[in-house]
Amino acid sequence: MICKKVVELLPRFIENDFSEEEYNDILKHLETCKRCKKEYESMKALVDKLEAIPLINVPPSFKDAVMKNIKKGKNGR
Amino acid sequence: MKSIKKEFFTDQEIVKKIKEGDKDAFCFIVDRYQKGLINFIFHMIGHYEESLELCQEAFLKVYSNIDLYDRNYKFSTWIYKIASNLTIDHLRKNNPRIDSLDELNEDDEKKIDVKSEELDPIEKLEKKFVGQEIADAIISLEPHNRELIILRHIHFRSYEEIAKITNLPLGTIKNRIFRARKELVEKLRKGEMKQNRSVKRIDKMEIKK
Repeated sequence: MICKKVVELLPRFIENDFSEEEYNDILKHLETCKRCKKEYESMKALVDKLEAIPLINVPPSFKDAVMKNIKKGKNGR
Repeated sequence: MKSIKKEFFTDQEIVKKIKEGDKDAFCFIVDRYQKGLINFIFHMIGHYEESLELCQEAFLKVYSNIDLYDRNYKFSTWIYKIASNLTIDHLRKNNPRIDSLDELNEDDEKKIDVKSEELDPIEKLEKKFVGQEIADAIISLEPHNRELIILRHIHFRSYEEIAKITNLPLGTIKNRIFRARKELVEKLRKGEMKQNRSVKRIDKMEIKK
């Protein structure tokens, strides 16, 4: 498999969306091509970082504030 | 109602109750979606207080439009669609020069960047929290691409669901996400290089002492 094809397939590869044949071909290529391997590693690191981003907490009063406004009829229903 | 645990209700069942006039049932919807929506809006606009206000507005809109909800759609898709529209409108209002957010150039993007001091709630998690760098990189993306990255990688929505939320074709979404990821890698790489340069500079200063 050539670099151009690998770079094209990498976004799907990162998301585990590939056929068995594609998987084997890409792996084989990554073992020998430093440039593509670097591209893969930085993309994978990014996705890992995105998916581990800490979530902010909801203030305990938030739900009550929403329900208060709903009961007040601030919503046109 | 209060004696029955909310876990026993599906979204559709709760919606049915609300449509029948049971206002209290809406608290189950708020309970279920508040964390997701607040985080979605927060990562879009980068301002904690405003994201709470917008989220409140989104819930009120959901409630007042509940009769328009089409049960052929997943409820989560519909609720995210409402939050998404409100958020994009909010960004547009704060940046009126932008007629089309798709046509943002780099200067425009800088104008809607959040200042680091506006990221207080995240900073509260930890002084220099582990996701700060990536949160800053996300907020510097063009808003529509930012939204796609957030939905896909922070909220784990399927491409099909993102297509319904954003009204964009599947192919366009995939291309934009792939491009945005490349852009993020670049931004992080540049950030790291900048940081390394600063560290080296500090090291040199210490050596001189």
